[in-house]
Amino acid sequence: MTVTTESGAAPAGAVPLGGEAPRRNFTFGVAWLAGLLIVGLLLGAGGALWATRATKPGDASVEAGFLRDMSTHHAQAVEMSMIAHAGSTDPNIISLAADIALTQHGQIGYMQAWLRDWRLDPTGSEPPMAWMPGSEGSVQNGLMPGMATPEQMTALRAATGKQLDIQFLTLMRQHHLGGIHMAQEILTLSDNKDVTWLAETMVTGQQGELNLIDDLLKKIQGTA
Amino acid sequence: MSMSTPGPERVPSTVKVGKTSGQGKPPASKSAGRPGGNRPAGKGGGKGRKPITPVKVSGGRNWGPIAVAGVVVLIAVGIIGYGVWAAARSSNESSTPWAERAAAISGIVNYRENADKTITSRNHKTGSLTYSTNPPVGGDHNPRWENCTGNVYTEPIPKEHAVHSLEHGAVWITYKQGLPADQVEKLADKVNGQDYMLMSPIVNLDKNVSLQAWGYQLKVDTVDDSRIDDFIKALRMNASVEPGATCSSGVTVTGDTPQDS
Repeated sequence: MTVTTESGAAPAGAVPLGGEAPRRNFTFGVAWLAGLLIVGLLLGAGGALWATRATKPGDASVEAGFLRDMSTHHAQAVEMSMIAHAGSTDPNIISLAADIALTQHGQIGYMQAWLRDWRLDPTGSEPPMAWMPGSEGSVQNGLMPGMATPEQMTALRAATGKQLDIQFLTLMRQHHLGGIHMAQEILTLSDNKDVTWLAETMVTGQQGELNLIDDLLKKIQGTA
Repeated sequence: MSMSTPGPERVPSTVKVGKTSGQGKPPASKSAGRPGGNRPAGKGGGKGRKPITPVKVSGGRNWGPIAVAGVVVLIAVGIIGYGVWAAARSSNESSTPWAERAAAISGIVNYRENADKTITSRNHKTGSLTYSTNPPVGGDHNPRWENCTGNVYTEPIPKEHAVHSLEHGAVWITYKQGLPADQVEKLADKVNGQDYMLMSPIVNLDKNVSLQAWGYQLKVDTVDDSRIDDFIKALRMNASVEPGATCSSGVTVTGDTPQDS
């Protein structure tokens, strides 16, 4: 109240200004809001684009390469385990084979689901292990480290009894060593939380199984 | 009365002044009367400055609340904008891009919408089965699938098993029997060590090479045709009608007769 009196007493211009203010406020507010809307939309879209780009590995990423290659690597372990599971008569082997087959097939599901989440193809055009620096020469005839050759797989399929158990354990030992190597490599290359979490479980899980495999091998070969 | 707007601006600075010097004045003028009176005196600018103050008043709208509101609106709109964008994006990408890439391969034949429903039928049947295309691209098949974890078969394999492999997402490379070894080798390089791939010769093939995925076929004359890789990239695993089904634990039988056991 007093303000009006005071400003009225001081300059003549203050009163007309005061009368205009509401209308100006209104039009100014609309323009301001529209501008904010546009800037906000752009910021939102841009930020989201940046965020998804930053968090989702691309087609040529080490993560995608690892998930694709490890899917194939795991698939062979599943195959070897299913052969042993069907053919072995040793309860320890049957149990180990079931554990490996089910675990690794489940992990293939994780890996493929992430690729799908990232809108990437389940398979890549790059040769195996291309994501891993210094891996030249580690791929033999299309096979990644630790993988059994077609001839070894044929022999495993044909084997029975103790021979089947020994071949399975020997092949799986090599297979785990190759798999652990790849998983350790992605741990140094990637900081993607999902991928490194799974890779860590592969390292610890397969190292534990290696101990079991070694024990079983000693036991079986000792009695052979 | 929107003039109250300039008031608050002044008040903070005024209040201090008012408290220190305004003890003797009546309460009524205390709150508002002083600001005007004290300022010019305090600043010592005299009457010449007075006109300047109102200019400040009209221009000096309440930027504080406006800025806060602006930031709030900006953040809110940003969140909404992201939601809209993310929704639009996901609806775009759910439209199977691999199928579009497959459709873009010249010469590819898509049998998934074919009038001949025996091609997309998926029953498990034992014994020899007949197929309306050679090589088959789908249809009823043997309960057991042919292993397709990068298997290179050097002899023909029973079609009844291979079709089951296609259902699981494999790409089956077939080539005319008698194709020179160096060309067979080039094809084998695309299969060795590659999960969801299998390869075998086949009798009575009308072209040198034919690629199959479930419901898709591409026939080419030479092993160097770049469309072979396009086909594999677009359809391997993607063409699966049983996601998660494996290429292992099947059979590795060759010959003409499916393995029913």
